Amino acid sequence: MKEINYWQAIAEALAEEMERDETVFIIGENVQEAPFMATRELIQRFGPERVMDAPLSELAIAGATVGAACAGYRPVCDLNFADFIYCAADEILLKAAQQNFAHAGKVNAPCVFLGVAGGGFGTGPEHSHVPSAMVLNNPGLKLVLPSTPYDAKGLMKTAIRDNNPVCYFFHKKLMGLKQEIPEDEYLIPLGQADIKREGTDVTVVATLYMVHHALEAAKQLEGKISVEVIDPRSLEPLDMDTIIESIKKTNRVVVVDEDTQRCGVAAEIGQQIMELAFDYLDAPVARVCSANMPVAGAEMEKYCIPQVEQVVAAIQSVCY
Amino acid sequence: MSNLTNTDKIELYRKLVHTRKHDELNVRMASEGKLRTFYHSAQGHEAIGVGACSVLHKDDYLYPHLRGHGIPYVVGKGMDPKPSVSEHLGKATGWGGGITGVHIVDKENGIFAQGGTIGSAFVLSAGFALAAKKNGTGQVCMCFVGDGSVQRGQAHEAMNLASCWKLPVVWVVENNLMAWFTPCCDSFALKNIADMAKSYNMPGKVIDGMDVFAVREAAEEAVDLARKGDGPSMLECKTYRFRPHSEGRPDVCHYLPRSEEEIAEWKKRDPLVLCQKKLVKEKILTKNLIDEIELEADEKAKETEKFALESPYPDPSILNTLVYAP
Repeated sequence: MKEINYWQAIAEALAEEMERDETVFIIGENVQEAPFMATRELIQRFGPERVMDAPLSELAIAGATVGAACAGYRPVCDLNFADFIYCAADEILLKAAQQNFAHAGKVNAPCVFLGVAGGGFGTGPEHSHVPSAMVLNNPGLKLVLPSTPYDAKGLMKTAIRDNNPVCYFFHKKLMGLKQEIPEDEYLIPLGQADIKREGTDVTVVATLYMVHHALEAAKQLEGKISVEVIDPRSLEPLDMDTIIESIKKTNRVVVVDEDTQRCGVAAEIGQQIMELAFDYLDAPVARVCSANMPVAGAEMEKYCIPQVEQVVAAIQSVCY
Repeated sequence: MSNLTNTDKIELYRKLVHTRKHDELNVRMASEGKLRTFYHSAQGHEAIGVGACSVLHKDDYLYPHLRGHGIPYVVGKGMDPKPSVSEHLGKATGWGGGITGVHIVDKENGIFAQGGTIGSAFVLSAGFALAAKKNGTGQVCMCFVGDGSVQRGQAHEAMNLASCWKLPVVWVVENNLMAWFTPCCDSFALKNIADMAKSYNMPGKVIDGMDVFAVREAAEEAVDLARKGDGPSMLECKTYRFRPHSEGRPDVCHYLPRSEEEIAEWKKRDPLVLCQKKLVKEKILTKNLIDEIELEADEKAKETEKFALESPYPDPSILNTLVYAP
């Protein structure tokens, strides 16, 4: 085992896959210096042909990614902020997502769209969002949301090897998070949830930084309520089986998600729980999400995105 | 032009006639209500796709324009246009398996994708060209767009990126002076789109898009540059569409009918007529050969129609299997 932090885990996965497969390359804005760390130190090892600093042109970067992917490469496209997916929406939502379907499965587009997501640094409405629901609304895209260094590495390696476009959003607040991971190579399949903490009274489903809010809430409630925390790790594909199995045991559930509440991930997961496990529920599904407003910056941010106290309150509200 | 043999010249003429006949077939089937989707006729535009694609190698990448829904380009590249009509009838033997009714894909011939939001052509073709450059085998990408595509941001992002990275791509702009119903004179600040190329430090040329030989010559030059590693170029081919923007739509400029005099004037320079006249004058085409080519193209179009009508529809159960690649 070795200790590694979150961004190092992503960079290590990229390096291993670039070493293993010469069709893998990185394209994006400032990927050589890497302000968000994920691609840091790869330039020294792989050179500018495979770690390509592009103009600030999200449509061109994403379009070139899709084009190269169709022609046999496995590009990793670094959008910097996940919010910038909107700048490249035509190419990611209409082209990458629909490539395989719209061309009868004859040419697919294996690529990864990398973006740093979420709040915590007061960066305001255009740099703090986790645009999960929007991705899920575009069938053809997969969505990976790692909450730990171990997951970040194993999921990135799988995402690169996947034959489809995968959105991989990592969280700003997790960059320095450390964990021991195996020295040897490992992969984590997409669509396999991880039980981050076992419990018996209530199930909390959360991804990315919200997993850590859930774990903190579970700690605060220790001795009073036994909380099980499930991290789906990818929302497409989504492992509902693990969630449903947990609910059969706890009969109560809270979904925590950093995306906007309205028409969001928690609403989708909540509805699926109703369809698959209604008879096991002893309380309505509760959700804690970002408020139905843009994400404010600076001091106002905390009123927009989920806080630990809200997760604690939601757990208490279903444990009557 | 000097390097074209008489056989090459006749072949270009033959391709123009085949393109026109297949386009006429789609237009007729659209009017009969047999096409299950929309259709944007290429009539008037044929010389561009035919002339430029005739210089491509089989392994060069191609992004076709929406005009003729790909017919002029695949015919130019020497492919069989048969799957076009099948696709438009929603049949499984279509280019895209009848899934979208319009998209072309043919991996063997370097056609990987087509998009419906114009402008994407620019950035996707930059990606194909990036792959071509990485392959290091001298491949180029040729991408066809309309004047309307150049009005989207992707055009400018792609031209800048491709010129910075010296990507082997040739952008052929088919300027028919009208994007949908809005004329270029009201939507471009420049007279010639090719002038934009200067801003991105790449060659840009204005070509007579009705003259298949002029298009071919310019394409050859641009492809040579790209193959040598000298980067992208733009060819602006001035042309005119003889039919409405799409079949069944009103044929207007803004909201008023297009000028009949203008249409008649441009039809005097019909690319097929120009080519035929030139080759007759050069005594390369004879009356017999003209008739023979006409007959052959009619037969081919009939065969295409029969093939499309007799082909099966895709099984709807495959839809769910296509959302994600295995």
